[in-house]
Amino acid sequence: MGRTRTIRASVAAFVAALALAGCGLGAGTAPEHVALLVTRGFGAGTLIATEAPKIDGADTVIRMLERNAKVTTAFGGGFVQSVSKISGGGGSAWFYYVNGVQAGKGAASTRLHNGDRVWWDFHNWSATDSIPAVVGSFPEPFVDGYGGKHLPLRIECTQPSAKTCSAVEGVFSAMKMIASLGCLLCSPENQSLRVVVGPFDTLSSDPAAEQLTGPPARSGVYARFTDSGRRLELLDQGGHVVATAGAGAGLIAATRFRGQPPVWYITGTNAAGVAAAVQAFNAQTLDDHFAIAVVADAAIPLPDAER
Amino acid sequence: MTYLRRSTPLHAARSSAAIAWCAALVLAAFTTSNPLVVGTLAVVVVIAGAAARVGRRVARSLLLSLPMAVAIVVINALVAREGLTVVARLGNGGPFGQLDITAEALAFGAEFALVLIVVMEVAALASAAIDPDEVLRSMRRVSFRSALTATVATRMVPLLALDSRRIGEAQRCRPKPGGRLAIVRAVTTNALDRSLDVAATLEVRGYGSARRPRRVPRPFSRHDIAFACSAAVIAALSLGWPAPFSYYPTIVAGSAAHAIVLSGALALAALLPFAQRRGIER
Repeated sequence: MGRTRTIRASVAAFVAALALAGCGLGAGTAPEHVALLVTRGFGAGTLIATEAPKIDGADTVIRMLERNAKVTTAFGGGFVQSVSKISGGGGSAWFYYVNGVQAGKGAASTRLHNGDRVWWDFHNWSATDSIPAVVGSFPEPFVDGYGGKHLPLRIECTQPSAKTCSAVEGVFSAMKMIASLGCLLCSPENQSLRVVVGPFDTLSSDPAAEQLTGPPARSGVYARFTDSGRRLELLDQGGHVVATAGAGAGLIAATRFRGQPPVWYITGTNAAGVAAAVQAFNAQTLDDHFAIAVVADAAIPLPDAER
Repeated sequence: MTYLRRSTPLHAARSSAAIAWCAALVLAAFTTSNPLVVGTLAVVVVIAGAAARVGRRVARSLLLSLPMAVAIVVINALVAREGLTVVARLGNGGPFGQLDITAEALAFGAEFALVLIVVMEVAALASAAIDPDEVLRSMRRVSFRSALTATVATRMVPLLALDSRRIGEAQRCRPKPGGRLAIVRAVTTNALDRSLDVAATLEVRGYGSARRPRRVPRPFSRHDIAFACSAAVIAALSLGWPAPFSYYPTIVAGSAAHAIVLSGALALAALLPFAQRRGIER
């Protein structure tokens, strides 16, 4: 009798452990409010854009893509070879972002969560094969986080009294999001989604911002600041300088530093550049772009097209 | 692994026709992806084995192929990331990612396992029903020395099996019988000794200077023609009229009628030569 009880309890504990680990029979529960975007050329051409993609149960990113597009895969189904007959090779491949963040694992290993915006883009990776974060899924990752985790939002202004700082705060307030305000990197534990606002020459103490002075292979952004932040070079998909902007140029870009949560920069070559970038800080302007440069009040998607 | 002399049409057919017939069955198993057709082939080979009076030998091949088939189904279900119909979620498998078992991966693994079963059945049937000496005789004109080496090697297999049995029986008489490894070691050592003896004998008898033998014409028997025609029909059906069936991303089966007709045609083509009993020695 006692032995039977022990066996029953062990079986019950095993089943409970499996259930907690996300195991179960059938397809599981489907996530809600998932969106799918499939583009080419860093978002330049849209192939599929749907706010209600076909999902069946607890799908992975790759399975959702297969349900909604004609896909060929390789390596046992873990690697996307082609989507809608656009096939990788010759320095171009398919990359995916969930809520604007490049996943650190394969699409077959990434489970969908509520509110995920999945973006597949076919682009040239000759300049870099790692673009850790993009801005084109705004207001994600601020609303639903990434990887199923919600992170607090923190706005870090180098000039807290400036109008640009309150304007950025206003954008989030309009979306009923609570953001904490603080100085640049004044929190030693960086587990927040940071939005840094200020002229680039005031961000020198931020190691993540320092990446924006290097090539795309370092920052994942197809623009870089030179001349101590007074000039902004716009790069093409090969990482070559296409144009150089001086005073009044702004930049909205996202990057990551050493596995920390993504950090967004709303910055510029001077205060006027920051103001121009803040003006462009809205979903309509950022939609489907990897990063945005603002030059002469015009938003230029990055990487910049060759001229 | 040893040839069994029987009075059946397959045994009566010349080795080249019998090999072509076996190869056509393997080709059919590999070229079709329809599980109904492959399953039919598996049953057909068992029936052919019974008709060739080596059914037990063919059935015994299942002992080896079934565990391998189960392993194929399990491994494919765990590693294949294709397929859209999730039947079970095993959670995060660490470096293997999300372990989602899909119906498509299970079905594809099962079909591949069926192909393996057919191949092993055909191999068992061929080894039991096709005279190895005749096969090697037909190879003499292509490469005399290779044929001789293969003849000696194949002759060694039943001899070593007999050795193993004898040593095993002797071992069981001891108060503490040794393990299988001891038997393998003894048989291997014996095999090396024997091979040296055989090589020395062949050298003394002048086999090294032998020339390519003349071709000896032999008329085709009705069994040769029947099995050769059967092989041609099986190959033509499987290559020219395959029943479409795809597994990924979702299972898409072609016409069921097509698969049933093809299965029936293959079964008929494969088994019809066994109906010809005339001219078989009793």
